Amino acid sequence: MRLSGSISLALFLASRALSADAIVDFNREVRPILSDRCYGCHGPDANKGRKAGLRLDELAGATKKLKSGDVAIVPGDLGKSVMAKRIASNDPEEIMPPPELHRPLSGVEKDILNRWIKQGAKYDPHWAFVTPRAYPAPAMADAGWVKDPLDAFIFAKASQAGLRPTAAADRTTLLRRVSFALNGLPPTNAEVDAFLADKSKDAYEKRVDAMLASPRFGEHLAVGWMDLSRYADTWGYTGDKPMFAWPWRDWVLKAFNDNKPYDQFLTEQLAGDLLPDPTQDQRVATAYNRLHRMTFEGGSIAEEFRQDGINDRVITASYGFMGLTMECSRCHDHKYDPISQHDYYSMAAMFGDQDENGLLSYHGEVPPPFVRLYKSEADRRMEKTLQAAVSEAENALAKVPPAQAGSTMTVPAPAAHFPLDAFTKTGVDDAVAARKPAKFERRGSPEDLQLVPGVKGNAVKFDGDAGLILPEFRQLGRFDAFTFSAFLRLGEKNARATVVHSTGFYTGDGDATGVELLVDHGKLRWSMIHLWPNSAASVETDAELPVGTWQRVTVTYDGSSKAAGLHVYLDGREAKTTVVRDTLHAKPRDNSLEIGSRSRDAGFRNGSLDEIQLWRTALTAAEVATLHGIDISTLPPSALAEHARLRADPAYAQAWARLQDARRALAAHQESSPALFAMEHSDLAPKSYVLTRGEYDKPDLSKPCEPGVPTRIHPWDESLPKNRLGLARWLTDPKHPLTSRVIVNRLWAQVFGAGLVATSENLGMQGDLPSHPELLDTLAVDFVRSGWNTKAMLRRFVLSSTFRQSSTPTAEAREKDPSNKLLARGPVLRLTAEMVRDQALLAAGTLVEKVGGESVQESANRRSLYTYRKRTAPPDNMLIFDAGSREVCQPKRLNTNTPLQALVLLNNPGFVEAAKSLAIKASKASSDPSTQIVAAFRHVCTREPRPSELSALKELYANQKAEPPQFAPPAQPASKTDAKPDPKTQKKPASETTPALPKMPADPSLAALTLVCSTILASDAAVTSR
Amino acid sequence: MEPSKPSYDSLMRHTRRHFLGTSALGLGALAMRGIIGDAQAAPLPKGTHFPAKAKRVIYLFQAGGPSQFETLDPKPLLREKHTQPLPDSVRQGQRLTGMSGYQATLPLAGSFVDFKKYGRSGVEYSDLLSHTGEVADDLCVIRTMHTEAINHDPAITFFCSGNQVAGRPSMGAWASYGLGSMNENLPAFIVLVSQDATKDQPLYSRLWGSGFLPSEHQGVQFKAGKEPVLFLTNPEGVSPHARRGMLDALGKLNADQRAAELDPEVDARLAQAEMAYRMQTSVPEVADLSNESPATLAMYGDSVKTPGSFAANCLQARRLVEKGVRFVQLFHQGWDQHGGLPGGIKRQCKQTDQASAALIKDLKQRGLLDDTLVIWGGEFGRTAYSQGKITKDSYGRDHHPRCFSLWMAGGGVKGGHVHGQTDEFGYNIVKDPVHVHDLHATMQHLLGVDHERQTFKFQGRYYRLTDVAGNVVKAVIA
Repeated sequence: MRLSGSISLALFLASRALSADAIVDFNREVRPILSDRCYGCHGPDANKGRKAGLRLDELAGATKKLKSGDVAIVPGDLGKSVMAKRIASNDPEEIMPPPELHRPLSGVEKDILNRWIKQGAKYDPHWAFVTPRAYPAPAMADAGWVKDPLDAFIFAKASQAGLRPTAAADRTTLLRRVSFALNGLPPTNAEVDAFLADKSKDAYEKRVDAMLASPRFGEHLAVGWMDLSRYADTWGYTGDKPMFAWPWRDWVLKAFNDNKPYDQFLTEQLAGDLLPDPTQDQRVATAYNRLHRMTFEGGSIAEEFRQDGINDRVITASYGFMGLTMECSRCHDHKYDPISQHDYYSMAAMFGDQDENGLLSYHGEVPPPFVRLYKSEADRRMEKTLQAAVSEAENALAKVPPAQAGSTMTVPAPAAHFPLDAFTKTGVDDAVAARKPAKFERRGSPEDLQLVPGVKGNAVKFDGDAGLILPEFRQLGRFDAFTFSAFLRLGEKNARATVVHSTGFYTGDGDATGVELLVDHGKLRWSMIHLWPNSAASVETDAELPVGTWQRVTVTYDGSSKAAGLHVYLDGREAKTTVVRDTLHAKPRDNSLEIGSRSRDAGFRNGSLDEIQLWRTALTAAEVATLHGIDISTLPPSALAEHARLRADPAYAQAWARLQDARRALAAHQESSPALFAMEHSDLAPKSYVLTRGEYDKPDLSKPCEPGVPTRIHPWDESLPKNRLGLARWLTDPKHPLTSRVIVNRLWAQVFGAGLVATSENLGMQGDLPSHPELLDTLAVDFVRSGWNTKAMLRRFVLSSTFRQSSTPTAEAREKDPSNKLLARGPVLRLTAEMVRDQALLAAGTLVEKVGGESVQESANRRSLYTYRKRTAPPDNMLIFDAGSREVCQPKRLNTNTPLQALVLLNNPGFVEAAKSLAIKASKASSDPSTQIVAAFRHVCTREPRPSELSALKELYANQKAEPPQFAPPAQPASKTDAKPDPKTQKKPASETTPALPKMPADPSLAALTLVCSTILASDAAVTSR
Repeated sequence: MEPSKPSYDSLMRHTRRHFLGTSALGLGALAMRGIIGDAQAAPLPKGTHFPAKAKRVIYLFQAGGPSQFETLDPKPLLREKHTQPLPDSVRQGQRLTGMSGYQATLPLAGSFVDFKKYGRSGVEYSDLLSHTGEVADDLCVIRTMHTEAINHDPAITFFCSGNQVAGRPSMGAWASYGLGSMNENLPAFIVLVSQDATKDQPLYSRLWGSGFLPSEHQGVQFKAGKEPVLFLTNPEGVSPHARRGMLDALGKLNADQRAAELDPEVDARLAQAEMAYRMQTSVPEVADLSNESPATLAMYGDSVKTPGSFAANCLQARRLVEKGVRFVQLFHQGWDQHGGLPGGIKRQCKQTDQASAALIKDLKQRGLLDDTLVIWGGEFGRTAYSQGKITKDSYGRDHHPRCFSLWMAGGGVKGGHVHGQTDEFGYNIVKDPVHVHDLHATMQHLLGVDHERQTFKFQGRYYRLTDVAGNVVKAVIA
């Protein structure tokens, strides 16, 4: 039994006589024991580790005859049940659970198991895997006290333990409590005064409704969802580059403010892109799935990190929406819950439906797929208009009548020509002399480039590491036509070899960009890439090149941004190709052309090139043929007609120019708006397989996994689409046992400090049992019936009598229920990291309230949810107050109490500045120190100070004023403490190096009042809501 | 049932309450009463399962992956076969990083530096570690470390927390959680990052984070300069006397609040504020190296005078363990020699060799070495072959997780001992492999902790530093 459950268990046991015939409750008493001590070896995981062939998580398994001849459980017959014998044993070889588990059964636990066997070993399904049903409110409650049916459940349970509710909290305390619960900020002094003056019956309801309608509501609710969704402003991992994601955060807070029904909230985040004709906002919502960390560390393996990303999506969604720990089944069947490894990879297939790269680009570009963020509806419409213009121009081009074929043919002069007959000091000469670019430079280890006999004179043979670069041959963009031609000979059937590219610095496929000619398992792949693989146009030859034979390879690109504009010719004739990608969404980086090698990639090992020629035009098929010496009379008439059209038909030229202008205009419009990573289903996504032991490079090809869900949690309706949208529909099925319970429990925790299930992140078998199971289920049913109405549910909570009780316990209640599980008194909350800081700023009058927008440094004095979150160096004062790093999903925060927290409150520059501003504010309002202190205290703690508190603070004030601050000369040079990191240079803000110390005001009165304010900010009354 | 088992949730609610029982103890000493095996361990110090050989740990983490070939694992064969390709039979198709994975050839690289035998034990150290060699008879070299990750971020995260996934508690956090502090005025787990190191690969606060353990167990970073611990220093113009006055007023406010609200939590909060106040004195004291003797300073080398240098941090580490800090972890970056290895590793060894040896001598002369475990090493090793071309006087080495070296000293390990053997290429392990989990298990064992029993229940599962693996390496224990 866990400590947390000991209270309810004690009460439970007290309510029944602890006698041999007391009926055992399987879910409440037996399963927690079996799950914790037995399922590890005798549970649902069939693959490995199931000992003796025994499973104890279901009746059939527990009662079957084992190979040894034993039967673990004979229902009703303790004597024949070997399990009873084994748990009673004193022999270390015999006893169960085995000593090496280090979790022996207590006497009480053994008794429970024995009674359960005696009573027939009845198995009930796990409570949280059964559809919740509504229960009538207990009638035994004090009807006058019950404001909401939930109060009756609370009252009844507390009564069973002999506890009565406390009196209603005083109005000031209640206003502070509800204000934190709904808005994450305390009320101002004026708001308190107005509330106290409002004698109307519904004064409280009015305040509650105002708080629910305030934009602060969404800001407050968003914080927990940002923890769960691992929202941050950087990518994490090595280098930790900025991650542009805040529009998703703004979507979340707007969704809360608009009271978007929770089923839609869930659906849009999981599958907004799969909704019919999705809006921009619905696609923004799907960024939820992609907030996981990404690396660009050199040498990283893309597939390993793609799998890690998918895993992160699966576990984040399962914690967030289902309260399940699915990551256990990444490597093996779940040890406790009915989730197989196959189920896990079926979920992985749901979330891995992207044509994506596992690695981030070194250059930090937004990793596709992405959605363009247009600021206005007009901009969105403009995209449609421009797309229509492209289509129209395409049609117009298609309608240009065929041109008359000419009888002569001239191949345009190349922009550069490298015969590769000899090396100069630095490289190889351009035969097109006196023209730039004039030289190839040898890079890598130039001595490894060999001159070998070629087709004409010599050729260059590459070793795979050293290559040639043409520094001034750049501007190989998506709208730039280009032709590369050379004699090429494979020295081996390269699995992968880079022949030509313009990628520049490269850490892996994550940032392949520009033109690229590869040998891929002997085939040629010719591409124009923005970021591989999602944003690229690419074709591949159907046939493999022969090894050891010279062939003239000519590849052309017409600047259309389309795969149809990519052509490959072998010895002057067009090769048959297949489209690999045709989704070029943005422009590539601009880099120099390189030949034969690419850093950190496989170069053209053992391959040779001769007579390299480059054109800044796409040669026509007829020109390519002519270049190779093919007589044009042997070409099909269509080729000649096509040539004439491309080269000599003014009507076609005009139509082509119009089309390219339309494409450029569309691209310019698109690229003028920022891109946000998002989900976009692709049929090109790699298939999902069970990965042996969860290892990325060990897919079990005999176990493919279609998109699917753990159906033993809730059955799958075959009419649903097998994708993320189907997943969302499955989760939001009113009969789903987990979705509504999980969210209602989390909302409850938000208001009451702890969930009805304390382990809000785990409702599975290893989670805690609910303290009020009927109440949780009833609320879950109500929530679905209300249309998944979040605000309405929170409104019920804060209007309840349970919420409105005084939080001060009676001595008896403190004794019987120290952690207030039974809620026979009001909730007490230590403020979160965000609340502590936001309260100080609000009290000081320096809080800048602006909803949404780019994340900021703390010095901007915005609410803490907007503070820039760098994953590898989260804000120190937030970490100290138990906020996480946002590297992974955080379902819940711990609540600690440490000396470092005191140091933050008393010495952190932000808090000292707040104390100063608060002192100035209070001293401006009155010249009387006592009045100043009272006002300051109220600004922070909401209530008036008690007389003894006031006298302590007045004494502090008097003493400090008598001893004005001394400053050590010379004052150290001021340095910026909260400078924003420069996103380009990634310089850390100065605060991460040497923070300048904050300084007291020199004026003795103001200094004394500042210290008083500082003391107030550090007091218990400030950092708690009672 | 099982009244002494902790869970995430019980701690969530009860951690603060523990201060009532333990508020006289130091930061990190909390929350342990009744958590680990009270029944079995009654006569043992809290958190231990059997008598400890080491009371504290100093971990000299060499971030970036020091090459074993130029430091602790001599391979004459590589010199003979210098520039010849790595035989496929040695590599056995094992994965390489994307850095050298596409390299056309993998030429073997012999060490540019010689090795000598040191001490009575005759253990070999490279000439770059001549000071370390002087304490050879106190050191136990493990040449057969191996790990699972091949890139820095996952590998260093794995080494520091037993898992590649972010969010697990670090080694020091486990020690703090399990054993607490021995000084009520100092944190149990302190981190020192060299300021004189080449910052080739970054460090992250997760490497000393508390993961799902309560946040008081996270490593507290000591920095050189005016404010050794974040937010430790009073604002300018606030004297210690003024601060005392504030705390007295705070005490009165909270006493009043306690009486009104009947909430013992309020006392805990005040106790923490008082401890913060004591830290304001104790931390600057322990961070002040000025009264160290000239002889001691000379032992650590010239750079000890540079605040925040590795040498200064080694000396700082000794002062901290002397004061009862449980776990001190130094980080020294700059070992990632993909290219230009000879120059790079000379610089690294110059920065670290003398002070590391001095730390051993210093601990020994103060009688602290016997129960202080010192570990020196990085997150993985480096390849036997050169990444990039071998030139006349330079080469580089890529990451190599399949074998690498580190040394341990004091705290119950064998001195003058070499554990494990790699093949003559230094590519694979021949005998006695030591996985990172094994090292963690051994470290915990020396601290008196059974690595399988020190667990924390989180999200329905019992977690431990060694996850589901790890064997104590008995052969290195004296």
